[in-house]
Amino acid sequence: MPIATRKRKADSTTASADATSEPQRKLTKVSKALQKDSISQEQAALPATPQTLTSDKGMDSDDDFNSVASSMDLGEEMSSSVDFGAGESDVDIDDDYQDDGAFDATAKDLAPKRKHFEVEFKVYSPQDIQSQQDTQIAEVANLLEQPSEATAILLRHTRWNKERLIEQYMDNQEQMLDKAGLGQEINQNPPRVVVKNGFTCDICCEDGPGLETFAMNCNHRFCTDCYRQYLTQKIKDEGEAARIKCPGDGCRKIIDAKSLDLLVPNELTDRYHQLLMRTYVDDKESLKWCPAPNCVYAVECGVKKRDLNKIVPTVHCECKQSFCFGCTLPDHQPCPCVLVKRWIKKCEDDSETANWISANTKECPKCNSTIEKNGGCNHMTCRKCKNEFCWMCMGLWSEHGTSWYNCNRFEERSGTDARDAQAKSRQSLERYLHYYNRYANHEQSARLDKDIFHKTERKMTLLQSTSGMSWIEVQFMEAASQALQQCRQTLKWTYAFAYYLARNNQTEIFEDNQKDLEMAVENLSEMFEKPTDQLAGLKVEMMDKTTYCMRRRVILLDDTAKNLKEETWKFNVELR
Amino acid sequence: MGSLCMTRLTEERKNWRKDHPFGFVARPMKTQQAALDLKRWDCAIPGKDKTIWEGGLFKLEMQFPDGKFVPPLFHPNVYPSGTVCLSILNEEEGWRPAITIKEILIGIQMLLDEVNPDSPAQADAYNLYKKDRQAYEKKVKQVVKDNPAP
Repeated sequence: MPIATRKRKADSTTASADATSEPQRKLTKVSKALQKDSISQEQAALPATPQTLTSDKGMDSDDDFNSVASSMDLGEEMSSSVDFGAGESDVDIDDDYQDDGAFDATAKDLAPKRKHFEVEFKVYSPQDIQSQQDTQIAEVANLLEQPSEATAILLRHTRWNKERLIEQYMDNQEQMLDKAGLGQEINQNPPRVVVKNGFTCDICCEDGPGLETFAMNCNHRFCTDCYRQYLTQKIKDEGEAARIKCPGDGCRKIIDAKSLDLLVPNELTDRYHQLLMRTYVDDKESLKWCPAPNCVYAVECGVKKRDLNKIVPTVHCECKQSFCFGCTLPDHQPCPCVLVKRWIKKCEDDSETANWISANTKECPKCNSTIEKNGGCNHMTCRKCKNEFCWMCMGLWSEHGTSWYNCNRFEERSGTDARDAQAKSRQSLERYLHYYNRYANHEQSARLDKDIFHKTERKMTLLQSTSGMSWIEVQFMEAASQALQQCRQTLKWTYAFAYYLARNNQTEIFEDNQKDLEMAVENLSEMFEKPTDQLAGLKVEMMDKTTYCMRRRVILLDDTAKNLKEETWKFNVELR
Repeated sequence: MGSLCMTRLTEERKNWRKDHPFGFVARPMKTQQAALDLKRWDCAIPGKDKTIWEGGLFKLEMQFPDGKFVPPLFHPNVYPSGTVCLSILNEEEGWRPAITIKEILIGIQMLLDEVNPDSPAQADAYNLYKKDRQAYEKKVKQVVKDNPAP
């Protein structure tokens, strides 16, 4: 992340012009926020966008921010409440109902229908992935009558496409083996280290007696020291595993796991197998690693790349991280990946600085130099090309005759064109800022969620001691805090989404939904400000508001996702 | 540089003296004390017969593990610094520990005529090669004339 660049940009803009206008302030803010994030989240590979409540781990790598309630349970219970109507009375009907504070997954079984914005996915642990690999290898090895090491190489070669491998293998066994970097007689010679007399290693030119040597079936023989060093470098420095080739010049034979285990020290074998696992997940389109720092899980989801314009596949990892399966950015529903990428780029790069320039400066009608008027009369003389023009109408000064300082030449063509262009860019900037300010507001609020959460925790303990409520009875605070975070995350992205929406009736429905959710969120947010002694009395109201927020969120997401699926949204950009 | 490297370079030198392809030059430079400096080699690559490079001899300085044309050669895959862009010289691509000096030099000789348009390294030669093949060949012939084989 080019933080330094952004910082410089912010500095230079504040230094350059006298009027600190909107975009400049915005840039400074963004850069500061990013800097802060980059420190607190050094390990995170992603830009530090705030997470939803379901992804506490990703928000800050601190462990103290783990949520108690499972995100899935919360989400599903909330969505189910749409079908049942909000309030405790519904939950009361249910037999599994145990306490009033915690939302349990009680209604889950009663509302199996999947919402439009939900996708099917599965979370795998490293053990699952390993056994998945092993089963596939064993299966194919059986069929092809090849040892599992060779089968593994073949499968990696075809990127774990079993059908294609079997088909091609049956078609032309020799060619397939050759392409994958295998010899034919892998069955016969198990790899071993041998001492050969009179042997000279082609790499180090050692030829002493008793020199240990190794070669795969390609018969490119080198001393074990050189072989080892070569493999070590590949695994350690280059992070390669699945496709390490023989050290011989031009040889395409690939080192199998067995030979490798024979040659390299244990700590490297572990890394080697780790890398192999990584390539397995990387190779499969339906598998992705969870992007949260230090998370070991991988998620499987059937959503294809080509469908990403129609669906926003948010998945939830075991570690509570919610992320988009399409782009692995933190959950950005309802905005599709393409627009997210565009939006982030737009907010990051210079485009708005350029927009500021075009809104607050004018260009010399002759040489196009950018000019900011910092005082003086309307008779401008371009310092570069010496063109003389009127600042008011941008027309040539010579056309003004003697009517100095009082531009009455509004009808001149040269002037209207210049003014039109300027008005346009001013308008576009205003539109962008409208959406950006709201987006940034929710982002900032979400960023402050960690504070809110800690405050909530404190309030919860305080509530327990002052009102004599039990731990479980104050859990509604946490549920509310989480709902707030999740809704803010959604709201934030609705603004990026809205920026790219073309105006029509549908947009109005969307904006109504957006407004409803926003109002619900602000109402709930306000309750957190109340003094602790009042909170116990507000419990029911707060729970109602929490449920209502989540309901509004589900309605908004469902409607957006449905229209996205049916491709009925009209965008003012092309989804590419 | 370790002794391993020195052994290998000594051996390379021995093998080269025993046998090397016709027209090629590869010899370690002399230090100021007139001793052999195995880390720096003077090399030269002849243009291949029956190509536009025929009749030329192009000087290359190997300073292990790097090598470059001195002076920089006019060729789409040679950087302005003289460094050659070739897969077998790239550790992450085609380079293997067992590749010898001979193979590297022959590889570069082949590259002279078999331009790899996918990885251009200098603008001048690449643009001319892409846009005006005749002018490119004319320019190469001039380069050959300026660097004649003895």
